[in-house]
Formats: sequence, structure tokens, C-alpha cells
Amino acid sequence: MTALRCATLIFGLLAIGCGERGRSVDVVRVGTDVDAESLDPRLTRNTTGYRVINLLYDGLVLVDSTFEPTPNLARRWEHPTPTTWVFYLRETARFHDGTPVTAADVVSTFQTLLDPSLNAPQRRLYTPIADVAALDRHTVQFTLHEPYAPFLAYLDMGIVPHHLTDEDHDLGNQPVGSGPYRLARWSKGYRIVLDANADYWDGAPTVSRVDVIVVPDNTARAQAFEAGDLDIIQSPLAPQDVQRLIGRGRFQHEMMPGIAVTYLNFNTATPLLADVRMRRALAMLVDQATIIEQIYERMDEPASSLFPTSSWAHSPAIGQPQYDPTGAAALLSSMGWNDADGDGVREKNGRDLVIRLGTHSEDLNRVQTVEFMQNTLRNAGIRTTLEVSDWASFSARRDAGDFEIILLGWTQIIDPDRVTFEQLHSSGGLNWGRYTNPRVDRLLEEGRSAERKSDRTAIYRSVAHIIAEDVPYYILSYQGYQAFWSPHVRGFTPDPRGMLRSLAQSTLAR
Amino acid sequence: MLRYTLKRLLLLVPLLLGVVVVVFALMRLVPGDPAVVFLGQDATPEAVAQLRKSLDLDKPWPVQLGRYIANVARGDLGDSIFRGESVMAAIASRLPATVEVAVAALLIAVLVGLPLGVLAALRRGSPIDVGSMVFAQLGVSMPVFWLGILLMFWFAVELNWLPAVGRGESLHHALFAALGGRPGVLGESLRHLALPAFALALNSAAVMSRLVRTSMLDVLQVEYVRAARGKGVANRRVIVTHALRNALLPVVNVIGLRFGALLGGAVLTESIFGWPGLGQLVVTAISQRDFPLVQGIVLVFALMFALVNLAVDLVTAALDPRMRLEV
Repeated sequence: MTALRCATLIFGLLAIGCGERGRSVDVVRVGTDVDAESLDPRLTRNTTGYRVINLLYDGLVLVDSTFEPTPNLARRWEHPTPTTWVFYLRETARFHDGTPVTAADVVSTFQTLLDPSLNAPQRRLYTPIADVAALDRHTVQFTLHEPYAPFLAYLDMGIVPHHLTDEDHDLGNQPVGSGPYRLARWSKGYRIVLDANADYWDGAPTVSRVDVIVVPDNTARAQAFEAGDLDIIQSPLAPQDVQRLIGRGRFQHEMMPGIAVTYLNFNTATPLLADVRMRRALAMLVDQATIIEQIYERMDEPASSLFPTSSWAHSPAIGQPQYDPTGAAALLSSMGWNDADGDGVREKNGRDLVIRLGTHSEDLNRVQTVEFMQNTLRNAGIRTTLEVSDWASFSARRDAGDFEIILLGWTQIIDPDRVTFEQLHSSGGLNWGRYTNPRVDRLLEEGRSAERKSDRTAIYRSVAHIIAEDVPYYILSYQGYQAFWSPHVRGFTPDPRGMLRSLAQSTLAR
Repeated sequence: MLRYTLKRLLLLVPLLLGVVVVVFALMRLVPGDPAVVFLGQDATPEAVAQLRKSLDLDKPWPVQLGRYIANVARGDLGDSIFRGESVMAAIASRLPATVEVAVAALLIAVLVGLPLGVLAALRRGSPIDVGSMVFAQLGVSMPVFWLGILLMFWFAVELNWLPAVGRGESLHHALFAALGGRPGVLGESLRHLALPAFALALNSAAVMSRLVRTSMLDVLQVEYVRAARGKGVANRRVIVTHALRNALLPVVNVIGLRFGALLGGAVLTESIFGWPGLGQLVVTAISQRDFPLVQGIVLVFALMFALVNLAVDLVTAALDPRMRLEV
């Protein structure tokens, strides 16, 4: 009887819980794969951090979903000389603690960001700033070392209150921004609760609460959305879950070109890959169509050149080497790599053709891709050593230049400079493959300083064309971006970066 | 028993010291630099070098280890490199959730495994016995992450009975709320706990049911049970008082070991159900090479495992007067 009583009590409580499951309708619950690490805009490092900060803080500009900088804390700006920018701030903007946003806050934000001791992950993007000064209480001037075309697009950095940075306040855990939402509660590793900022300069959001819930497993997150426990989910999502959710027919869905690419990085400093013919031959052995079709299940697009279709620098006229095993075999033979002894592996001067191919284990699609490529390369007489390890080990080898070919990705390609200057300029700090081409160097320098967008477009297309010919990178795919949301969230506009800013203008159907 | 307990507690010191040294060495033997992960792909080598210096990672290993042990001895587990909080605070905020799901899973495992094992032994060869065998096979062979996804699909997506992810109020808060006249809070907490606890419990329930069955079959054959039956003692009393009590001894020992398995299983279960416990935290910490946090969590896991097994030994001694606790 005791067991029966216990069981009755437990089921009774579960049933009561069932009755309490209803929730206030002005809350939007967003599923995410990782927790934020810091809610200080200068120090954040991961996608959830960027997205939450985009709701908590305002930058001088707001980069909209078409990647155009639009006025935000700065109501307007001037660009009197190629190296000078002047911004005029809104006088009505206030931080969540009630203090007004002033030029001193902007100066403090960028000065501390540039201070090496802060260890800001994005500091490199702002090093062209020579000086930032307050001209008056609501006017701030930036002076650059040299013309820097992407500058405006990077000014969406959240402005932090200088009286708190000076006081050594822990903004990472207790953020104080001036954005449409303020932090209500942060249960680390589980949930970030944001409440609408009633005093927001652009009017209080109608959605009074945004609940960001961490569910690391992609399938579990999709199921939680399907069960009604979440209102919005975004990439990364498993292809089979995407198909199932689309098949249900009761959710809003959008698939859009993302701002990221997946690519093969060739180490041009190694004896084998220093020869552009070898790089081209290997690129001709990448069965891109099958990889996109079978492994990525068409969630990503096959890439044709360096910049994704979401970028204004993209051109469909530029083409990388196409999958052509016969052509690749002929090219390898012309270089003296033949399988004379019939063991299935090409050799030259007594040395077998062996390539190291690596990626990181966190992305299963990438692991499957290198395994598939190993098979394709074997059929072409190339033996492949796979090197798959977790991100930390992988990046340690990559930074040391200890690799031949690696499969990885670049994201946040808001401006083409972001994926080229540091990566492909011979002096670039992220040029792990040691690629050197004086013409590319010159073009990238011009791309940074050119004022007119049409000039920059032509420059970056020239760069993309050379890269497609030289193949220091082979761009495998343009990453697609998926977003699902409940129909009762009205006015939500998905953003290829995953930003949730449109929730500030959304309403909820009752 | 007091001397035995004190001795076991003192033995914890070298044990934990060993754990610290091994984990410290393992984390540094694996390639990967927390400074590189922290600063991201855009970092300059100079910035990486500066951060390494500020984290003391530029010092020789023995120096780093010596400082770490000295700090641990003072109760200071250091600061998480990535989370902007002390390791102690990070663990304290997550530990209750992990303990909650592990203890709930252990309870379910005992409540399911024990009666199933007893029934299978009493009805040897019957459909109940065969059914318990099938249950055990499934429970042992089904990976916890797969089971979690299946349970979620059935009970949250299709039937919509239980929430798919997340955690309600912590159980002790929920209990106070229930005592204060708000039983719904406790109900909501239990509803959130149900799926992760069941997913985590299944493997242990399966192991326990087989163990209880075997143990019961052995005990039912021994002379004192047959003697009791011969004296005409009621069957129910023979089973509960004479057989089950003795059959439970190996099971109690296994509970201690299963607790370790449950902590390991919690790593996967927490990721699937978005359960904010230490398991989820340690996975992230390892991938980021957050050395102080990984070391701190493993230390806490080791301490919990050792204490649970000490408790098991004490309970075993209490259950079986023949057991002598060697000092």
C-alpha cells in the first residue's frame, strides 16, 4: 500500500505540474547550442554571446540583415577625410542603470578594447584606429592610421558605460547596456532571461521577455521546438531534423545563404603543396557535388569562389577547379607522379604520394567529408593520412603550420576584408598556409583603403579570381542558415548571423 | 567503526592528490592551448603569449602543479579561464542539478531493478523472467544518448506529457514551495526531472535487476531458507526477511559503483536534456582546455565517488554483522 500511495502522490504532483505548464504569452523562448561565456561585448567569443549582446547593447551602428550599417546610438555620421569619422550620438539614449550614453562611453569602449591587457578577441579588427576622442558630450571622432573601408561595418560593437569600466565592474556577468533588453537572470549553462527595457530610446519592445535556453544537442533542440518548449531555433541543425520540421507544416521556416564558408586550406609552405599544379590536381579530386548532396544533404550550397552568395563581393562568373578525376590524373602524371610498381599508390623518385588531411571532430559533417575524400584520393592513387582531433588540438597544429590540408570554416563574412586580409596577405596573422602572392597583397591593401564600393567590389573579385587559380583555399561550400519559429511570433525576421534583434519589433499572437 | 571511518577519510588525501596530479598531467599532455581557444582565430601571437603569461601557463609544469596543489590545500580551486567566475562558484552552481538527476536515477534504478530481479528469481523461467531478461539486454545495450532522444520523442513530442528540455526549480526549493501551499512548483520540477532521470536510470536498473535475480536465486537455495520453509514460516516472510535481506548485500556494494557510472552518464544526459549540471560543464571545459575548471570538476567527482563508496561500506557493515571493518 505504501508503494501505491507514493506512486499516487508522484503522479498527482506531475499532474499538478501539468496544469502549471501554461506560460505567460509575452515570452519568446529561443533555443541555442551553447551558453554565452561573457556578456561584455568587448570580450564575448561565441555565437550565443554575440546574439544576446545584440539585444543588450547598442553600437554606434546597427548592421542590418543585409549587412548594411544603419544608425543606432549614432543618429548620423560624417566622413570628412579618408582617415576621419565623426559620429553624432542620440541624446535620449540611456544605459540600463539610467545614466545617459555619452561620447565618453564611446571613447572608453574603444580605448579599453584596444588595450592589449583586456585580451579582447576582436581587437585585431580595430587596430587601424589611431585615436578616438570626444569632441563634445554627444560627438565623437575616430582618427585612423590609414583608410580602412570595413571600419563602419565593425562599429556595431556594443558601447559600455565608462563609469563601470573604470570601476572594474564585472560587465561579463552583470552587463549594463543601452539596448532594447536588459539582463534579468543568467543561470549559467542553462538559461539567459532578458526583460524588455521600458526606457529604450526607440520605444519599449512588445515582447516583454526573451528566454534563451541552452540545449547543446541539435536533435534534442529540434524536438524541444517541435514539442512547443521553444519558440525559435536556428542553425546548427541536423538535416534530418530540418526535413522533419518542414514536413510538419506548422512552423515558420527560412533557409538563407549564410555568412560562412567551409574550405580546404592548403599549406603552400610544404614541398608537395608549394607547386600550384599539385594543389589544382587535388582540388580537381574534390567531389563537391556528392559531398554537398550526400553529407550536407543540401543544407549548404556548393561554393564556386571565395565569397558566399550573401556577400556583395560574390560573383558567379568566378570558378574554382571542377571535379575531374581524369584531368587530375593527367596533371599528376605530367608532374612525374605515376604508379609504376602497381601498388595503387603513385610515386616519384621512390617516394609514395602521401597527403595529410585533417579537420576537427566537433563537426561530424567535416569528419565525414575528409573520410569521403580519403576514398576519392585513394582511387586517384594518393594515400591519405587522416588527422582528426578536437578543436583545441586541431587549432594548435594549425597555428604551428603543422598540416598539409585542413578542412575548416570562416564565418562573420560581413565584409570581404574579414576573410582575406589576415588570411591571404603574406603578412597576415591567420595565413596558416603561408600563401604569398605580391599581386594579392597589393589588391588586399587597395581593398582596405578604397572608398567606393564599386571599386572594392572589383578589387575583391580580382582577389577571388586569383585565389581560384592559385588554390591556397578551395572553398567547398557556402554554409546555409536555417531558422524555424512558431507562427505566434509575429514580425520576427531571421538574420543570417542568427541575430535576434527583430524580436524588439515583434509581437505575439494571443 | 569511527576509527575505520576516520582512516578512510584520511586516505582520501593521497587519493585526491593522485587524482589532481593525473588530471593535471593529462590536460597538459593533450595538445591545445587555452589561450589560443580563449582569444579565438583572430588573435595575434603576441596576444596569445601575453595571455599565457597572465595565466601562468608559461611557467614549467612542476611550478604550475606546485602552485595549484598549494592553492587547493587552502580550498582555492582557482578561476575558470573562460567563465569569468571562480571554479568553486561554477561547481557550486551546477553540482545540485547533477546530484539531483544522479540520485533520482539511482532511486529509479533501485525501485525498478530490485522488484524486477526478485520477481524474476521467484518466477524463474516464467514470462516475467524472460521479460526481465529482455529489459536487461535493452537497458545495457542501449546508449544513453539514443534512449534520451527516443524518450523525448515519445513523451514530449508525440504525447506532449512531459517537457522536452530544461529544469524546473531545484527540488529543495520546490519542496519548500510545496510546503508553502504551491504544490505545482514541485510537480513542474518533477516533470522536468522525469525524462533525464529515466534515461540515466535504465542502464543501472538493468544491471541491478540481473544482479538481484542471481543473488536471490543463490540465497533461495541455501539451507537456512529451506529450513525456514520447512518450519512452516509464511512464504512472504521467508522471502522478505530471510532471502531478500541477504541477497541485497552485493546489490548495496554495486550501488556505490553504479553511482560512478551515473556521474559519467550524466555527462551525456545533461547535454541532451539541456540539464544545467556538472556533466555539461565539464564537456565544454575539456573542449576549451579550461584547465582549472576541468581539474576542479574531476576532483569533485572523485570526492563524491569516494564518499559514496565509503557510505556503502558502512551500510554493508550495518546490514551484515559478519562484516568486520578492518582498521
